Amino acid sequence: MQYQSTLDRNALVDLALNKYFANVDNKNLAAVLDCFHDNAMITVQTSFTLHEGKENIKRMFVDFMDGFDVIIHRDFTCTVDEGNGRIAASFVAELTDPQGNKTFLENTNFWRVRGDKFQEVYIYMSGENPLV
Amino acid sequence: MSDQPYEYYVDIVTKRYFHGIDNGDMDLVMGCFHSDASLREMSSNTLHDGYDAIKEMFVALFAAHSRIWHGNFVHTADTRECAICSQFSVEVTSIETHELVRYESGNRFYLEDGKFRSVFVYMSGETLLK
Repeated sequence: MQYQSTLDRNALVDLALNKYFANVDNKNLAAVLDCFHDNAMITVQTSFTLHEGKENIKRMFVDFMDGFDVIIHRDFTCTVDEGNGRIAASFVAELTDPQGNKTFLENTNFWRVRGDKFQEVYIYMSGENPLV
Repeated sequence: MSDQPYEYYVDIVTKRYFHGIDNGDMDLVMGCFHSDASLREMSSNTLHDGYDAIKEMFVALFAAHSRIWHGNFVHTADTRECAICSQFSVEVTSIETHELVRYESGNRFYLEDGKFRSVFVYMSGETLLK
């Protein structure tokens, strides 16, 4: 679906990298959830995992943040389609579990923005999906 | 900043690259790539480095399937960065088994002088691009 976004190029990048990923890495759950509309959807497309609605998205992030001691997203390359309220970013996800085991993923996210928040998020992963 | 307008990015992906793949038009497909381009399938970490390696992969893809279809595109195109990221569905039918398989995929295309310099592919299932 095509949505109307109110964000310009810099604001789209700020939403994706600073308001979303920086808060995921710092485990600021409330700030992460504030990036989403109540009826937003996250789809991990490479594993067909769907999280529909803010409550389900919250449950997924609680488990994700509890499951890893350290979460780092880095090395972003952003592609911004300001006229259509869309942004994609490739990045490295570096995850450290409580036993010290590290997982490295090279993922790409696609965000579709309605107003100033995420309406749809699609994640394509290079490996096994930790967002279950 | 790109010399090409927004629609150039959508057109090279849909009207040249994927149209060429769906119709077995190797010249149309390979005309999208620089000679030193690379195509990397991320889900299986398969790298096709250079024009000849990419062409070899497409020869194998065309030989193995009686039907290839790409559709349901949603594009994120960025003229400033000379890049387009595209989400789409893929259906392929195997010549050997006649089985139809569907994938949900996402590609990142980075262009230079109007052609693909590097392409990154994500697929929902086992990679087709061996």
